[in-house]
Amino acid sequence: MSDAESPDDDFEPVQVFGDETEMDLRPGSDDCYKCSTCDTNCPVAEVEDEFPGPKFQGPEQWRLKRKGDHDIDDSVMKCSNCMRCDGACPSNVPLSQMHNTARGEYVDEQMDKLSVEYLRNRMLSNYRLLASLGSKVPRLANFVMGLGVTSWLGEKVMGIPSEREMPEFATQTFREWWSERGGNATSKERAREARAERGGSQVSNPDKRVAYFHGCYANYNTPEVGKAMVRVFESFGYEVMVPPQRCSGTPMFANGMLDDARRAAETNVEEFVAAIGDGADVVASCTSCSMSLRQEYPELFDLHGIEDLSNNTYEALEYLRIHEDLEGELADTEVDFPDVAYHAPCHARNQGLEGQAVEVTESIDGVEAHDVGDSCSGISGTYGWKEEHYDTSMKIGEEMFEHMEAADADTGMTECPTCAMQMEHGTGYEIKHPLELLETALVEE
Amino acid sequence: MTHTTEVLVIGGGSTGTGIARDLAMRGVDVTLVEQGNLTHGTTGRMHGLLHSGGRYAVSDQASATECIEENRVLRDIASHCVEETGGLFVQRPEDSDEYFREKLEGCRECGIPAEELTAAEAREVEPYLAGDVKRAIKVPDGAIDPFRLCVANAVSAENHGARIETHAEVVDLLGDEDDVTGVKVRHESGPGKREHATPGTTEEMHADYVVNATGAWAGQIGDMAGVDVEVRPSKGVMVVMNCRQVDTVVNRCRPKGDADIVVPHETTAILGTTDEEVEDPAEYPEEGWEVDLMIDTLSELVPILEEARTVRSFWGVRPLYEPPDVGSEDPTDITRDYFLLDHEERDDLRGLTSIVGGKFTTYRMMAEEISDHVCEQLGVRGECRTADEPLPGSEHPGNLDAAMDRFGLRSPVARRSTQRLGSRTEEVLASADPNPVVCDCEAVTRAEVQDAIASAGTDLNAVRIRTRASMGNCQGGFCCHRMAAELHPEYDEPTAREALDELFQERWKGEVHALWGEQLSQAALNYALHATTMNRDRDPARTGGVDYAAFDDGPGAPDAAGEGRGVATDGGDHGD
Amino acid sequence: MAIRDDVLVVGGGLAGVAAALAASEHADVRLISHKQSTLRHASGLVDVLGYPPEGGEDADPIAEPFDALADLPEGHPYERVGADAVREGLALFDDAVGDTYVGSHTDRNALVPTHGGTVKPTARYPKSAAAGLASDGRDALLVGFAALTDFDAPLAADHLAAAGVPFEARGATVRFPGEFRDDAKVTRYAHALDRNEDLNGVPARTALAEAVKPHLDGEERVGFPAVLGDDDPCGVRASLAEKLDADVFEVPMGPPSLPGLRLEDRLYAALAEAGVHAETGNPAVEVEAEDGRIRAVVVDRTGRPVPYHADQFVLATGGLVGKGIDSDREAVREPIFDCHVPHPSDRYDWFDADAFGDHPFARFGVDVDSDLRPRAADGTAEYGNLRAAGGVLGGYDFAAEKSGGGVSLATGYAAGTAAGRAAGGETSDAAIPGDTT
Repeated sequence: MSDAESPDDDFEPVQVFGDETEMDLRPGSDDCYKCSTCDTNCPVAEVEDEFPGPKFQGPEQWRLKRKGDHDIDDSVMKCSNCMRCDGACPSNVPLSQMHNTARGEYVDEQMDKLSVEYLRNRMLSNYRLLASLGSKVPRLANFVMGLGVTSWLGEKVMGIPSEREMPEFATQTFREWWSERGGNATSKERAREARAERGGSQVSNPDKRVAYFHGCYANYNTPEVGKAMVRVFESFGYEVMVPPQRCSGTPMFANGMLDDARRAAETNVEEFVAAIGDGADVVASCTSCSMSLRQEYPELFDLHGIEDLSNNTYEALEYLRIHEDLEGELADTEVDFPDVAYHAPCHARNQGLEGQAVEVTESIDGVEAHDVGDSCSGISGTYGWKEEHYDTSMKIGEEMFEHMEAADADTGMTECPTCAMQMEHGTGYEIKHPLELLETALVEE
Repeated sequence: MTHTTEVLVIGGGSTGTGIARDLAMRGVDVTLVEQGNLTHGTTGRMHGLLHSGGRYAVSDQASATECIEENRVLRDIASHCVEETGGLFVQRPEDSDEYFREKLEGCRECGIPAEELTAAEAREVEPYLAGDVKRAIKVPDGAIDPFRLCVANAVSAENHGARIETHAEVVDLLGDEDDVTGVKVRHESGPGKREHATPGTTEEMHADYVVNATGAWAGQIGDMAGVDVEVRPSKGVMVVMNCRQVDTVVNRCRPKGDADIVVPHETTAILGTTDEEVEDPAEYPEEGWEVDLMIDTLSELVPILEEARTVRSFWGVRPLYEPPDVGSEDPTDITRDYFLLDHEERDDLRGLTSIVGGKFTTYRMMAEEISDHVCEQLGVRGECRTADEPLPGSEHPGNLDAAMDRFGLRSPVARRSTQRLGSRTEEVLASADPNPVVCDCEAVTRAEVQDAIASAGTDLNAVRIRTRASMGNCQGGFCCHRMAAELHPEYDEPTAREALDELFQERWKGEVHALWGEQLSQAALNYALHATTMNRDRDPARTGGVDYAAFDDGPGAPDAAGEGRGVATDGGDHGD
Repeated sequence: MAIRDDVLVVGGGLAGVAAALAASEHADVRLISHKQSTLRHASGLVDVLGYPPEGGEDADPIAEPFDALADLPEGHPYERVGADAVREGLALFDDAVGDTYVGSHTDRNALVPTHGGTVKPTARYPKSAAAGLASDGRDALLVGFAALTDFDAPLAADHLAAAGVPFEARGATVRFPGEFRDDAKVTRYAHALDRNEDLNGVPARTALAEAVKPHLDGEERVGFPAVLGDDDPCGVRASLAEKLDADVFEVPMGPPSLPGLRLEDRLYAALAEAGVHAETGNPAVEVEAEDGRIRAVVVDRTGRPVPYHADQFVLATGGLVGKGIDSDREAVREPIFDCHVPHPSDRYDWFDADAFGDHPFARFGVDVDSDLRPRAADGTAEYGNLRAAGGVLGGYDFAAEKSGGGVSLATGYAAGTAAGRAAGGETSDAAIPGDTT
């Protein structure tokens, strides 16, 4: 299997909304009792008073709406979609759904489709297309991206801050590696071997099968994360499947490109619901991808099987913790690994997973993990990639940078690829995914 | 203290303020007295429906025809009070086809534009309609804010020289058994704007003619004059939802019955209503079953209402009247028509006319008729101009972009401000800087609150009805104290405190009818904020006598540790 | 099967944290909470008992709360756990918050000025509020910000005078320096001061002090709304104090409440130090139980039920505000364990007609035995290994009596200690419901 098997993306510069009924989220304001806990969790409102906070952008703005009012305040574009407000609200107001929907409406109704901002956002949110082109000629692409003139052009013409270094493309994508390795068939074999080695008693379910949602970044930029996922799961006796897939939609939601996101979702839902039908659970290594499949999909789209996908999607470590005695397995392992400074991505936090990486990796003898606190990294996917948000992004990240510097470590750890970029950008640390530590501990090379 | 005027109008509801405006515009010297705030009686306690006439198109075609005429007038002269929502008469499967047909024909006979919609078309207009509705009739119903309308009428009257006195209760009529020559009023806090700290006074107001426009209270004024005015007050409950489930007035298409209408009103939806005769328009039971009836019955039309949040309920009393010889048993059978009772013709009592019955939508027409009558009595000539001249605020639409750009408001705040203030938007918003939002739920800024205080004095309920501040989902929990703070320093602290307590209590009064689920949590939070965080329930300024010396004065106090203070200047440690 | 601990605490507010800290002395503890706690709503003050529960609206504040504890009615949480647990709970709190809080030097209550301009009796107060105590005779200047509508300093100062405080209070309103929008959040002000941001060429703390100086007329202390920093409040106060040559204090506000945020941060740091695993984000929805004992609490992870196993459980999900107690038009209930919540059947009996009257709803919560185990309607314990603490308890009106923090700490301490001991094998819990009542 190669990338060619992934469905084509139909990138159209002008989008036309379908004839679906407009989403009415006013009833969501019923749950708001104005405590403002959401506002106190908003990393943007803390550094940027142009952003009036999630309460205003969410339940208040929605409640004030009448049919026919289409004046979404442009400050909704200042929201970074970190979704911390969702995790904050003691009363279950669907804040991020309100923000996503309002942003979609704003982009659709009020944004100039020929503006540089729109085109830039469209490009950033369709990173997979760029990456898919870049990874065809990775060395050339990396060379061009590294040129000073490119970043100058990026800033002046596209509004991409010159301070940011474009992520490097891997010379071999994860999917290329996967198909070279023999795809699903090889995985099935390896899983069977692992199960045999473990002895039948430890295998609760002989059909141990997961469908891997690798997302764009593990495919094009950090295939080592994807490989680690495959090897770790196989070592527990799981057969890994890698269905065709498109972007999870996270960057598109954040940029109000809901039509692009829906098209991608149609493919992902179809492919992964089929995998679920084959007895697999869906596992993602990127916490924004799992967040999207679990929460944003059913909130924003009405597609056949979407609830099924939502209910059967897990983050990788979470899955192993629930189904295996992960910490028990790790307790006997020992690795020689530098201390790590761990940052919990906001989207992990929203899934209730903020503590698990430290808990799990600390079970490994020789690993010392320092939690660098609950602040947001500030990059929020494509947010920090915009000239107009760069300073805000770095201000938000300041606290995390300081805590990383203060931690006794020089390797960083996080599940989120864009948080990883920001951590590296702000501190110069090398950043690992927890799965990479698990691979070191559990998989004999 | 005495005062002389040509015409004295009793009652500050829609009819009274409408009469005051009409007469003042004709050059008559008018004084209006109202026992509470403007809209204190029935006007402030209605669901805000601007009738198309559709509701009466079968049962009372004369009323229906008047409604559609006045509906058109109000859209024109009161544009900043009216939202052109449109309305639907929705038929459920169990509702009669025969009645549906009669309704459609009735509308057409009365000149009410009416269009039949299929179930699918109706659900396209209102997606939350029940899945099994059969069909609907679309009519030009609208929503109107009665508070804003009355205030605008009163302001217009004042602009034409009228004197408007609120919190001025009529305690007696002047004159003798043949002739009414004025009224004696008790001002709760002296004449002029209400100010809590000002002591009450009484005043005799002499008038050439007195108009009794007190609606459900007309009988009580009649009693003072020794004449019978047989008003039959009938109560109805209205349940206020937190947000709008519908943007169109949704009526149940069936002959008559309780709980058959949902009106989108400003940021909320209002469910109505019941029709039950009561003895006293001020004292009647308000019961939970009435609230349940609204929610349960209207959920048949709009199922989401079953789970939706209710923020409060209120009851209003219709000033129904029927001539003594009719004798209807059921209040729903009593006509909604209005009657002008000239007590000279009727009771040989000169100088007094009562106006009773009628409905809000036709207030202007009623005012015109009685003004004509009064002018005839006084021998004054003057044309009624109220159907043509816009009310203050409705001269032109507010400028949203100007409000956003010039005053730095977020667009939803600017939009709500312009919807409420209309042509006064820029004038009002320019008056405060900085201009933060005081009431978050309803997006009311300091400038608008200050503007209301300028005309309402320390009466925060009067500020509330002008601005909608404290009428949102927190029911004032987060803004009552902010509103009260706006009174200071113009008014002193005890006055601001008294005003706050009064508003807070008024908010609680209606909220108690919604205390379950989310609103009970809201009430618990409001209570915690005001009692725990602010200690307003055991306020030492009220209870007095705190022995401060008996309490901790800090670990650094000289008498405790023998060393100096410096609690906050010690540099502290990171992470306090 | 992998998620298993000795003690599972459900709820992450003050009571849950106290229970987890207390239990962690004896056992492995996990704390789960669905969303962020109501600490962020509250003022950050920790009240023990400010007014007698049956004293009515004209009662005087209590100066010596420990003396008053003995008189509490049966069923009040303090009566259930006893005065020693109150002291232990406070000691646990003092330990967790270190020197960021004041009040442990005395048994007496302090009177702290509120943003409404009254004073309120409390047992522990953040250091940031310490210079503002009402029993301190030094004159005070209160400063408000023109765009911050929640605190009107001149009005609050006049109100303090009306409350008879033993000092002169004056108020002044200034514009917060810089060019913030009128709807800037309190965290924005705090951040600017924390980082001493450059505001039009002047560092924020200097600029604020300069704005206040012209209003200062010899007062020895200056009070601000509680926005003076989030990460470095001591540093912010010290800078302002130095530049103003006066003590600086905060007047607690909320919600949202910076002192509440800081307290929450401090408590969660203490949990981490104690080795308690804390996680938020997913709701506990039901229990797996057999023979009167709970085996696991089931957490809903986007539609997937995940059991959290433990030996002992503590319910600390809060009251009506924290959604630990829920209601509809017909009834009031505790949604996770479905514990019995006594309440009148007619919802019109749930409230008093006066806004500050004696509201039955304020006392809604689970009914517990003296081991803090929730009791069913027949008086028997619902489960042998479940205890409850804090706002989810019934039988007290924390708002009227000013006892919220103290009850959470005392019952959290007692429930956590009992759970920890039972799980750690130090005691045996009564496994059969009803045999201890």
